[in-house]
Amino acid sequence: MRTLWSRFRALFSAARSERELNEEVETHLAMRAAELRAQGLDAAAARAAARREFGGIDQMKEEYRDRRAIPWIESLTRDLRHGLRGLRHNPAFTAAAVLSLALGIGANTAIFSFVNALMLHMLPVEEPEQLVNLYRTGGWGKGYASYPLYLEFRKRSDLFSGVLARSGSHEVRFDAGHATRVDYARQEMVSGNYFEVLGVKPAMGRLFTEDDNRTPHAHPLAILSYDFWRTRLGMDPGILGRVLHVDEQPLTVIGVAAPGFHGVEVENRADVWVPAMMARGDIMQPGMHWIWIMARRRPEIPRSRMQAAANTIMQQYLTSVYGRQRNTAFGKWALDQKIEVHDAGVGLSTLRDAFGKPLTILMAAVGLVLLIACANVANLLIARGAARSREIAMRFSLGATRARLMRQLLMESLLLALLGSALGLAFAAWGARYLLLFLPAAAGDAFTITPDATVLAFTLGISVLSAILFGLAPAVRATALDPAAALKDGGSQQTGGAARAGIRRTLVVVQVALSVVLVVTAALFARSLAGLRAIHPGFTARNVATFDLDFPRAWKRADKARHRELLGARIAALPGVTSFSYGAPGPYRGGSWSAGIRVPGSARTAREGVEVDIQGVGPAYFRTIGTRLVTGREFDQGDMRATRKIAVVNAAFLREFFPGLRDPTGRILSFDDAKPEGGDPTYIVGLAPDILHEGLKTAAKATVYLPLGHDVTETEFDPTLLVQSQLPSRTLFPEIRRVLSQIDPEVALTDPRTLSERVDDSIFAERAVAALSEFFGGLALMLAAIGIYGVMAYGVARRTAEIGLRIALGAAPARIAWLVLGDGLLLIAIGLSIGLPLSLAAGRVSASLLYGIQPDDPLTLVLTAIVLMAIGVSAAFLPARRAATIAPIEALRHE
Amino acid sequence: MSTRSSKTDLLQGTLDLMVLRTLEAMGPQHGFGLAQRIGQISAGMLDLNQGTLYPALLRLEQRGWIASRWGASDANRRARFYELTKAGRKQIAREQDDWARTVALMQRFLRPVE
Repeated sequence: MRTLWSRFRALFSAARSERELNEEVETHLAMRAAELRAQGLDAAAARAAARREFGGIDQMKEEYRDRRAIPWIESLTRDLRHGLRGLRHNPAFTAAAVLSLALGIGANTAIFSFVNALMLHMLPVEEPEQLVNLYRTGGWGKGYASYPLYLEFRKRSDLFSGVLARSGSHEVRFDAGHATRVDYARQEMVSGNYFEVLGVKPAMGRLFTEDDNRTPHAHPLAILSYDFWRTRLGMDPGILGRVLHVDEQPLTVIGVAAPGFHGVEVENRADVWVPAMMARGDIMQPGMHWIWIMARRRPEIPRSRMQAAANTIMQQYLTSVYGRQRNTAFGKWALDQKIEVHDAGVGLSTLRDAFGKPLTILMAAVGLVLLIACANVANLLIARGAARSREIAMRFSLGATRARLMRQLLMESLLLALLGSALGLAFAAWGARYLLLFLPAAAGDAFTITPDATVLAFTLGISVLSAILFGLAPAVRATALDPAAALKDGGSQQTGGAARAGIRRTLVVVQVALSVVLVVTAALFARSLAGLRAIHPGFTARNVATFDLDFPRAWKRADKARHRELLGARIAALPGVTSFSYGAPGPYRGGSWSAGIRVPGSARTAREGVEVDIQGVGPAYFRTIGTRLVTGREFDQGDMRATRKIAVVNAAFLREFFPGLRDPTGRILSFDDAKPEGGDPTYIVGLAPDILHEGLKTAAKATVYLPLGHDVTETEFDPTLLVQSQLPSRTLFPEIRRVLSQIDPEVALTDPRTLSERVDDSIFAERAVAALSEFFGGLALMLAAIGIYGVMAYGVARRTAEIGLRIALGAAPARIAWLVLGDGLLLIAIGLSIGLPLSLAAGRVSASLLYGIQPDDPLTLVLTAIVLMAIGVSAAFLPARRAATIAPIEALRHE
Repeated sequence: MSTRSSKTDLLQGTLDLMVLRTLEAMGPQHGFGLAQRIGQISAGMLDLNQGTLYPALLRLEQRGWIASRWGASDANRRARFYELTKAGRKQIAREQDDWARTVALMQRFLRPVE
C-alpha cells in the first residue's frame, strides 16, 4: 500500500521530484570534487573526475524518471487490460452487471439532474449565498408583496447591504419593429438597484441605476439578457439606443447584461428588464401585490435576528396601513400577513416549492435502487470469484501479492461501474425527458435539464463509490483463500463455499429489506394518487378545451366583452362543438378572487362581514363543464346584461350561511358589508354542488357565482374560455385559432389545455412521484428477484451431492423442492422483518406528501409482504424444481 | 527497466541488497556516502558507475524498504539521507536467507564430488 501511495504522490509531485534529483546529483558531484581537491587536484580536474566516476548523468536521470512514472502507469494499463479481458470472456456476467448498474446509476443521474437544476445550482451573481427572499404569506396569495412594503424594508441598511424589488418574470408582448404576428418575451420589472445589489455587470452599454427608477412612467428604458440579444435580435451590434416595444410600451435599449444571467427565477428566464416605475397603474398602492422583495443580508446578522426584525417591520407597516380597519373582515385579512426570510441563493422557483420535497424523496428512493443494484453486482462478483478461485490461487503461487490481486479485482469493478455509468447516462437522458413530461408546460418553459459539470461529477462519483461498495467485499473474499487448497480442489465450488454463501445470503436479505422500503413507498404514493383521482372535482366534462385570450393593452372591458361574444358565437357554430362558456378565475387556473358579504338572515354574518370566493362566469358555465345544479337555474344570455343582480351559490356556501336549509333560491346576499343587514341586494337563483376550482386537495370554500359583468367583478381579470365538444383538442385548437385570427389577428390565444390536463397539471407532483416510485419499486423487485434466484441456484448447485444422496435414500422430490422454497422464503421473511420497520421510519418522511392514507397503512404493509413472498417463491421456483429432479447418479458424478 | 552496470555485470537484486546492508551497517546515509562505502567494501572488484545508485534508491524507496529525508551533511550541505525501514530490515533477512541457500547450492556444484 505504501508503494502505491508513494507512486501516487509521485504522479503529482513530478516537478518537485525532478528538482530534488538535480540537487541530489549536484551534491554528490560537489562532495566527490571536494574530496578530490583535498587530494591535490585543481578545481576543474576534480569536477571532471567526479563526473566521470558518476557516469552518464542524463542517462541516469532518464532511467530515474522512467522508474518514477512507469510502474504506476504500467501496472494501471496492465490491470485495465486484464480487467477488460476478464469482462470480455464472460459476456453474460458483464451484461448483467453493467445493466444493473446502468439502471441504478441512470436513475440517480436523472433525478439528480433535476435536484441540481432546481435546488443546488447557485445564481450566477456575486456571493449568491447572501441573498434572501422576503416572502409574504397570508391574504392575497403567497410570495409577492407591494411596492410600499418594499420601500419599508429598503430603509433597513442595518440588516441588509441592499434590498431590491422585482416583478415576476412574465410573458408580455414583444415587438422589435417588424412583427407580423403577436410575439412574446419575458419581462422582469425591477428596482433601480437590481443589478447593483446582485452584482451583475453589463456585457454592453450600461445597467440601471437608482436614477433610472425615480418617477412613475418616466423611464422608458430596457436592458436585454445576453441570450435574448443573441437569439432573438441576432446580436445586433447597433442595439444600444434602439427602440423596442415591450408590453406595448416603446422602450430604448441602454444595455445588455452579462452572458449567463437570466434573472433570479430558476424556471422562468427573464429576457428584458424594465424599471419598476414603468409598471401600469398606481404602483404605490399598498393593495397592489406584484413584486418580490429580495435582499442581500449583512453576513454578521444571524438568521433568527433577521426574522425577528422582519416580523417587527411587517407589523409596524401593517398597523400603519390597515390599523383603522382592524374590525372589518378585510382588516383582519390584511393584518394577518407575515414575512418569512427565505434563502434565495439558488434562485426563486415556484416549481421548487411544489416539487422540492417530492424530488428529495425520489432522490432517496433512487439511492436505495442503486444500493440494491450494487448488492446484485456484488453477488455476481462473488459467484464469479468462486469460479475463478483456481486462477487466483495460481497467480498467488506465481508470486503475486494480495494487494496486487485485490487492486486488479477492484479495477475490474471500476471498469464495470464506468461502463454502467456510460450506459446509465443514456438512460438518464431518457429518464429526465420522461420526468419533464409530468411538469406542467408552464413550469418547464425555459427549464432545460442538461448534464452540466456538477451532474457529470456526481455520476462519476457514485460510480466510483458503487465500485468500491460492490467490489471490495468480493475482492477481499476472493483473495482470502488458501492457494494450496484451492489448487488441489481444482476450483470446485466447495472451497470457501459456506462463507461465500453466507455473504451472498446476507446480500439478498439486504436487497429484500431495501426493496420492501421502496415497494411500500411506491404503494403508498400510488394509493394516495388513486385517492386524489377518486375525488370528484365537481364537474364531469373532461374533454373541454380551455384557453385564455391575450388582448392588446388599449382594449377596454367592453371591447373584450364584445369580442368574447362574437368569438363565442363563431365557436359555437363550429361542427362538433356542443357548448361554450367562460369563467374568471375559472377552473384550475390559479389565482382567486374574494369579496366581503353580508347575508341577511344568516347568523354567520350577523356581527361582521365574511370573505367569500367569487367566480365571474358566462351563460351555460355549469353545463359546459358538466355540472348539474342541485336546485334553481344557471345564468343565460339575458342575465349578462340584466340590471337585477343574481347569483348562484355552492353547497359550501349553503352549509356556512344557511345550515339546515335545502334550497337557498330566493334568498339574498349583499356585497355592501359595512352594515349588518347589507345594502344593494343580489338574489340567489341557483345552488351548485361544490366544484374544486383550486385543486383536488383544496376543499371548496363558500363561493358566489356571478354573471361576469356584475359590479363586484368591476376589477375583473380576463376569463378562461371553455369549449365543450366531441372533437379531440388536437383538431379543435387549430380551428379556434383560425376563427380567432379571422375576427382580429391582434388577439392571441394562450395556455391551450383541456380541462383534464388542467386537473392533471394541478397534481403533477403526485403523479410524478407515484409513477416514478412505482418504476423504482418495480426495478427493486426485479433486482431482488435476480438476487434470490442467483443465491438459490448457487445453493442447489453447491449441495447437488447432498441432495442426490437424500433422493437416493428415498426423500420425496416434493420434500426436496420445499426445502429450497422454504429456504428462499426464509430469506424473504428476514428481509421483511428488517424492511417493514425501515419503511415505517421512511413513511414518516413522506407522510406530508400522502393524501388520504397513513404511512403505516396496514393493508399496504400486508400487500407488500404478499408481493415480496410471491416474488421470492417465483424466483426460487426454478432452483427448487432443479433440486427435485436431481438424479442420484448425476450427483455422484458431480462429486 | 534493468539496472545496468558498465564493468561487472551485477546479478539482479545484488545492488539492492548491498545498499540495504550498507544502510543497516552505517545508519542513515546520503547517496554519495553510500557510493563511497560500497566502493570501499567491494575493494575494486565492482566498478560501478556511481550514478546507477540513484534509480536503485528510488526503486527501494518505492517498495517501502528505505525512506528518505533532506538533512545537512558534515560539510553543512543540503543532502538527501536514506535510511532503512522496518520492511527493509525484514527484506534483508529474507534476502540473506535466499543468498545463503543459493551460495550453499552453488557450492555443492562447485565442490569436487566425493
